[in-house]
Amino acid sequence: MSTTETGNSSTTESAVSGLDYEETQLTLAASGASRSELERKRGFSEGVDLSLETKDFLSGSSDEAPISGAGEPSAAKAQVVGWPPVRSFRRNVLKSCTYVKVAVDGTPYLRKVDLEAHAGYQQLLTALEEMFSCFTARNYPNERLVDPVNGTEYVPTYEDKDGDWMLIGDVPWKVRSSSNFTGNIKGFGSHVEAINKEELEGAISTIHGKHHSTENNLDVCRFMQTASLMKSSEAVDLAPRTPTGCITAR
Amino acid sequence: MVGGFRWAAMFPDEVWEHVFSFLPADADRNAAALVCRAWYRLERRSRWRVFVGNCYAVEPAAAVRRFPEVRAAAIKGKPHFADFNLVPSDWGGGAEAWVEAMAEGWPHLEELRLKRMVVSDDCLELIARCFKNFKVLSLVSCEGFSTAGLAAIAANCRYLRELDLHENEVEDNCLHWMSHFPESCTSLVTLNIACLEGEVNVSVLERLIGRCPNLKTLRLNHSVPLERLVGLLHRAPQLVDLGTGKYAAQHHPELFSRLESAIAGCKNLKGLSGFWEAGPTFLPAIYSVCEGLTSLNLSYATIQGPELIKLISRCKNLQRLWVMDLIEDEGLIAVAASCKLLQELRVFPSDPYGAAQPISLTEHGLVAISAGCPMLHSVLYFCRQMTNAALLTVAKNCPNFTCFRLCIMEPHTPDYITRQPLDAGFSAIVESCKHLRRLSLSGLLTDLVFKSIGASANRLEMLSVAFAGDGDAGLHYILSGCKNLRKLEIRDCPFGDKPLLDNAAKLETMRSLWMSSCSVTLGACRQLARKMPLLNVEVINERKRGLPLELQPDNCPVEKLYIYRTVAGPRSDTPSCVWILR
Repeated sequence: MSTTETGNSSTTESAVSGLDYEETQLTLAASGASRSELERKRGFSEGVDLSLETKDFLSGSSDEAPISGAGEPSAAKAQVVGWPPVRSFRRNVLKSCTYVKVAVDGTPYLRKVDLEAHAGYQQLLTALEEMFSCFTARNYPNERLVDPVNGTEYVPTYEDKDGDWMLIGDVPWKVRSSSNFTGNIKGFGSHVEAINKEELEGAISTIHGKHHSTENNLDVCRFMQTASLMKSSEAVDLAPRTPTGCITAR
Repeated sequence: MVGGFRWAAMFPDEVWEHVFSFLPADADRNAAALVCRAWYRLERRSRWRVFVGNCYAVEPAAAVRRFPEVRAAAIKGKPHFADFNLVPSDWGGGAEAWVEAMAEGWPHLEELRLKRMVVSDDCLELIARCFKNFKVLSLVSCEGFSTAGLAAIAANCRYLRELDLHENEVEDNCLHWMSHFPESCTSLVTLNIACLEGEVNVSVLERLIGRCPNLKTLRLNHSVPLERLVGLLHRAPQLVDLGTGKYAAQHHPELFSRLESAIAGCKNLKGLSGFWEAGPTFLPAIYSVCEGLTSLNLSYATIQGPELIKLISRCKNLQRLWVMDLIEDEGLIAVAASCKLLQELRVFPSDPYGAAQPISLTEHGLVAISAGCPMLHSVLYFCRQMTNAALLTVAKNCPNFTCFRLCIMEPHTPDYITRQPLDAGFSAIVESCKHLRRLSLSGLLTDLVFKSIGASANRLEMLSVAFAGDGDAGLHYILSGCKNLRKLEIRDCPFGDKPLLDNAAKLETMRSLWMSSCSVTLGACRQLARKMPLLNVEVINERKRGLPLELQPDNCPVEKLYIYRTVAGPRSDTPSCVWILR
């Protein structure tokens, strides 16, 4: 699988052609780290496509890290499947306790961070920096939400139980923290640990007025009732819900 | 038996049936059924409780035919390692075949308990429709159904006594399923909905439990806010077992005192669980009932050590304690001092993947408990370090262990003081604990520990092994010893073909064997399957790349292997990743 030959989207070629050798060099660093590095060097769009290629190329050896930038374990050692032997039920309950909302002045929506995923304050701060470095950044595979007419970018958000605007994707799809959402967001069926392209498409098409009647998307539709796509530029006008000028963790 | 038939005819059938009614245990009834044809005939007509440890071991129709008067059935599906995502999600364990056969042949069925099975809403609807006298539904670690299915049960099972949902994955698509319990439903004794994720209509629940005077067990899910717990308890002061909902709220002295008095009003409370999101604020509200508690499950509460100690020191009559490792050694020392009647302890990891600060829960806590609690017989303990000396002490203190499961979270961890394998420690356990029925190993272990287990663990029924052993000898010791072994599950051990083939006959005396990430080849599995027609040899290959299994060479490594005895032959519902060798 060669990065230059994959023709998933037209932007791939332009992204690849604009790069010098060092930037295309594939490394075996933790996928999160390499992705954010690439983001800083380029704009959002190219970063997404390149990181997708990188991930595909490495997918033989890497495990499925969630697509969202947040919440990735920064521990160096790979997790062994099913070890330690803790039931999924218990693991999910443990996970749901450690998410906190983080707001940054200037960002209209909040991010959710899994405290458990970071070994200490230093790692947490680094992760927060990366999350808020460019608040329009979303690493959705092949998904750049651009209005074809005027070129404005959209980010998918939703309003949660507390009335906060949250960016979609921080919390793995299957997490049992239904208390934080207006509806049941649990994905249907097998081990979906992150939003994948199909579910996101289902969610977005609901907003555009198409109704997905398949059972698989029922939960997604209900979940998205109070959601909207915000134009990145318009989103700046929304007052943040936290005191300005500081990062607040709730 | 010489003259067996003659003496069996000495008494009329009714007398023998009456005699058999004093044999509740399946093993005894099975033995009686083998004595002679008359007893076989009599016993089968009088058996009303059936336990099927492996849903694929027998055809549902055959089981139903043999025991026509069954009122209570318990069936298990997937292998235990399915709990840890080692079994593909489409492997099997579907309940339809059983439910359909039971609907056909056991219309008077009253109790159904399913564990690790895939139960669809259709199954639940069939149960609700076909069993007119249905009283008990218990689903443990099941999946495939939704609250719509539960609505059908609620609506149609007029005499429902127990709805016990334990750690299932339930799709939430019918928000008001509980409203389907008719006003005439007053028979509930157990209602356990702790695993449901969705919102629960607490007013409906209040009315339901208000009209069920015999309700003894109520376990709520985390959506039930603390404020509403007060109202629920007022309507069910006779509760014996309570699982709280969310055990956190804005601190409010009025709420605290209302909660405190509501709980104190439950004079029969023996068991407490739930405590989702519990913090220290509202824990003291349960102090008044602590003395009467025999069972306490705090394993979902991230409460720190000092608070736990304050709470548990009051529970002088505790028999069962489930807690997170946040209790630390200090907390366990306090438990050892206060809970002299403790029989079962489970300590779960608050942070299994090691990203947070280390917790001071070590071998010292386990030793303290073993020394202070003379009635302790069942332990599940997750920790990060262990020594042989500690295990030797535990073994000496607790010769009555029936269940010992130790999980040292990092694989291959040696004795951290001597750097030796933990063979000596675990050997001491099996040699001292003559009644040990269940054992889980961990840490650095060589074949020596298996030699001890094979030789000493005569009552052992279930053994779990991970990241242990040096080679074939380890598995051979187990399979050639352990007279009563029923279930063996192994992962990531260097065990190969030879011990399997050398001990093929043993496998027919066991319920099942699971091996994953070991060194077994396809050729050995083929040989085993040919040699042992009463075994299903399932090879699980999830990768789906390359040649189909039939064309793979004998030396092809087998990633996952599940072998079980069966009189039903190969099952017909295998997914594409499972091959049954013949």
